[in-house]
Amino acid sequence: MDEAAMVNASQGLGVTTVESQEFTNATLESADSKPVAQVSKFRKTYGRTVAVDGIDLEIQRGEIYGLIGPDGAGKSSLMKAVAGVLTYDSGTLDVFGVRVDSEQSSEAIKDRIGLMPQGLGLNLYADLSIEENVDFFGQIRLIPKGVLQERKDRLLGMTRLDKFRDRPMKNLSGGMKQKLGLVCCLVHHPQLVILDEPTTGVDPVSRRDFWSILAQLLREEQITALVSTAYMDEATRFHHAALLFDGKVLARGEPDEIAALVPGRIVQAKAEPQAKAFALVKETFPQSEAVGPWLRVFVDDADDEQATTAVTSSMEEFRPQEIHVAEPDLEDVFIALLRRRGLTDDDHSASLVGNADSVSDGDGLAIEANNLVRAFGSFKAVDGVSFEVKPGEIFGLLGANGAGKTTVIKMLTGLLPPTAGTGRVAGADMRRAGQAIKERIGYMSQAFSLYQDLTVVENIRLYAGIYGLSRRMTRDRTDWIIDMAGLAGRGSDLSGSLPMGLRQRLAIGCALVHSPQVLFLDEPTSGVDPIGRRRLWDIIFDLSRNSGVAVMVTTHYMSESEHCDHIAMMYAGRVFADASPSELKTSLREESGQLLEVTTDKPLAALDVLQSGGFDGVSLFGKRIHLLAPDPSKAEQQVRAALGKKDVGVLSVSEQPLTMEDVFVNRVLALEKADEGKQ
Amino acid sequence: MSDMPSNSCIRAMVVWWNRMRVMTIKEYLQLYRDRILIVFMVYAFTLEVFLAGSGVSMQLHNAALRVHDSDHSFASRELIHRFRPPHFRIDGEVLNHGESIDLLDRGEAMVVLDIPPQFQESLLNGDTTSVQMQIDTSNPVLGFLATSYGSQIVGQYGLEAAMKREGMSLNELATPIINEEHRVWYNANQNDAWFMSVVEMLNVITMFAILLPASAMAREKERGTVEQLMVSPLTTFQMMFPKVLAMTTVILVGTLITIHLILQPFFGVPFRGSLTLFMAVTALYVFTTAGIGMLLATIARNLAQVGMLTALIFIPMVFLSGVWTPPENMPSVLRAVSAIAPLHHYIDASLGIMLKGAGIDILWDSILAIALFAVAIYGLSMGYFRRQLG
Repeated sequence: MDEAAMVNASQGLGVTTVESQEFTNATLESADSKPVAQVSKFRKTYGRTVAVDGIDLEIQRGEIYGLIGPDGAGKSSLMKAVAGVLTYDSGTLDVFGVRVDSEQSSEAIKDRIGLMPQGLGLNLYADLSIEENVDFFGQIRLIPKGVLQERKDRLLGMTRLDKFRDRPMKNLSGGMKQKLGLVCCLVHHPQLVILDEPTTGVDPVSRRDFWSILAQLLREEQITALVSTAYMDEATRFHHAALLFDGKVLARGEPDEIAALVPGRIVQAKAEPQAKAFALVKETFPQSEAVGPWLRVFVDDADDEQATTAVTSSMEEFRPQEIHVAEPDLEDVFIALLRRRGLTDDDHSASLVGNADSVSDGDGLAIEANNLVRAFGSFKAVDGVSFEVKPGEIFGLLGANGAGKTTVIKMLTGLLPPTAGTGRVAGADMRRAGQAIKERIGYMSQAFSLYQDLTVVENIRLYAGIYGLSRRMTRDRTDWIIDMAGLAGRGSDLSGSLPMGLRQRLAIGCALVHSPQVLFLDEPTSGVDPIGRRRLWDIIFDLSRNSGVAVMVTTHYMSESEHCDHIAMMYAGRVFADASPSELKTSLREESGQLLEVTTDKPLAALDVLQSGGFDGVSLFGKRIHLLAPDPSKAEQQVRAALGKKDVGVLSVSEQPLTMEDVFVNRVLALEKADEGKQ
Repeated sequence: MSDMPSNSCIRAMVVWWNRMRVMTIKEYLQLYRDRILIVFMVYAFTLEVFLAGSGVSMQLHNAALRVHDSDHSFASRELIHRFRPPHFRIDGEVLNHGESIDLLDRGEAMVVLDIPPQFQESLLNGDTTSVQMQIDTSNPVLGFLATSYGSQIVGQYGLEAAMKREGMSLNELATPIINEEHRVWYNANQNDAWFMSVVEMLNVITMFAILLPASAMAREKERGTVEQLMVSPLTTFQMMFPKVLAMTTVILVGTLITIHLILQPFFGVPFRGSLTLFMAVTALYVFTTAGIGMLLATIARNLAQVGMLTALIFIPMVFLSGVWTPPENMPSVLRAVSAIAPLHHYIDASLGIMLKGAGIDILWDSILAIALFAVAIYGLSMGYFRRQLG
């Protein structure tokens, strides 16, 4: 099949491939026509499970190649094989022109490769200091002492870790651990670094920092990188990317090209009542979601006008308002690709309503935090946090790791007594609440804590028994949960054997078994694929709108926070903003300005110019640069002038909508700066 | 659901009962699915007890004896041949002192008997003579036994030689002699296997009584399910007791298997007292010891730490139980600890019931001591458990 045919086939069921013409990144002066790594028909199985099923890839010198896909897509297996630490079943694998097919051949390439495995700081030694860790990795690579010293100083300087040289690794934050991991795998000056989900579990601010350091290091050292991520919105950081799902490549190419694979538009509109309009729209457009007050609909193969008309007419009776049309983002594309190939689980249209008996009286607050404080010794994990959540509201608590989100949830659920302040849930003070109040709340912890050695039905029955449901109720709720979670036919599977998405829906089902009025979800979507995440948000939406359940969610996916009715952002134990997502974006726009996206032919050079040129919020996304400008047209002129002086060609400057990540990162950076100022 | 207070009271009881039921069933299911643990338990309750009963002996059997005979007389041969099986085995002669030390060093001889020149002559002349026994006492129990058997043999021979010289035989009783007669009670054949296998069973019971509930609780902590339980309307008692209940019944089943499949058929251990009383005491003891396990689980952060803490607690418990050293031989501090240690009382009670046929009228103090310990340990661990997440 030739390439044109393959692209055409993308309308149907074929493999979608967009081969980039010539790799034309201007930063890669030394661009070599020979790829650093070439993978062809690669296949890896574990027993009967096929992890990777016939993947082809080509990684060019000097680029950042991204593997994007949910957990279990086969990213780690592929990366380990490229690093020469995993045998495979069939296919070919050439790295630096060496055919990697034996112990010997993989030894031959290992000194040119740096590998950072998945997991925060898993390749590091917790009790060794930063410096000792780097020294260790240098010494096992037999780097001469003088060279090592020089290299260590340089890398620690660039990652700004040099101030903490003597700090043991275990006392570092997630972001710092990942930076140290990067330093340790770069210390021997490899030509190819393989980073397995380096940003998972790292907060958005540190994630941006990590990407910019990585980009800078790679450029200065002429290193090629193979990086995987589960965050779809990080795709823009890559020069080339492959979307993986279930061991297969869904699409590959430059991020823009992948996005263009599924022609269509995203239409956003408001309609009342939202839940009914949503149900109606979903009948016509399967790929729709309710996001906060909005309905967000993916319309296939349409231009702006067609999409608007189609959506409007599908829900005419609800008078859609404030209609916006936008380009689909990569997550939309990913889901659309899966949908078109029939890879989504069979469409689940059964009504989720079944919870109506728990609709609360409507007056009074569901959750009320009043100046909550929690101190551990002299350290205040939570410092005067207040917020209110009404019944039927979705409330999001955002913050970096260690900002205090989980501690707040633990205080509200009665797991942890507050040092000061009060938390009221469903009208009762959690500190003094008896067992009865606990019957009104549901809680799902970060780990989706199910009994993995019990089956689906055994788990549900256990919680039904704990919450004192009658036999008839237990039967009804078991049916409801199995239906809601899409677990039909898997009732007697061990819950540990379920894929992440199903496991998480079973966990939420168990938390809902007693129809609580208030539901606490601590990072409910980590490790779950995009489709699973959307289904979860559908469930949350349904609970809040149709059953009046108040839902409190923490998440580190900033894009997900758009689903919340209102959001409190936390930094160092305090809430620094509490408003709806659109209000938060509006206020950032008013304070710091519009988001401008600059595309140039020399992105890294341009980045230096703009960062030193006094612009706000300058950040590199693959080949594009984002910055904040109070006056976009004036800023555009300044940008063009500044770049022109340095001989950087500007390809385009455009205004982009602000995302919640922009809001969070800019706010937190400002707070960090203020903190540094105080010290 | 009804307005009647009595009805709601009944409902609360039904709910309470239901909670205990589902939590206990959950423990059984989890244990049932943990195949490795089951294999380990089956091994411990059968093969391990069997090995302890048949393999370990505290008696002196076939101690390797070398002789350095510098006399080569009738008397020296007579003495040498009084060292016989089953206690001693004569492995031959050594020619000089250096060789005997060498054999002792290498562990090829346990006892070296050194007979001086003119041994017979001295005896016949009525002079005092001496023999030397060098004994490898790296195992003090066996060394002690070899020493005492050896001196008994030499003493007996010396006495006979002296009387013979005076022309008397032992039967004439012209000299005052105390004739010692002893009666062996409870284990007439002094069969080690009885004691060893029973004690091993009690040790296995102790180990699982700590390990099973502790690892069940630690697993819940590790996987985060304990938080899920703590936000639910379960009380601390409802979280802990079903584990203890489930594990206790499993251990009791294991105990019955050991008694009926190993102790009785293989070693013929008599069961002189009431099996029911023994099982009741065992249930109380397992319940108590499970409290120690619960306390460990609240301290430990994960399964690996539970394993280490179990070893840390279990081994001293065995040493202080009085099996290897009677408490009277311990320093006073350890003796005090031993008086509290439940295993000590449990072994007393168990041996009492099984071998002596004792009843509750005799054993009530041991049972009371175990029960008091139970109250203390559960008070402590429930208090700790509530505090650990706070």
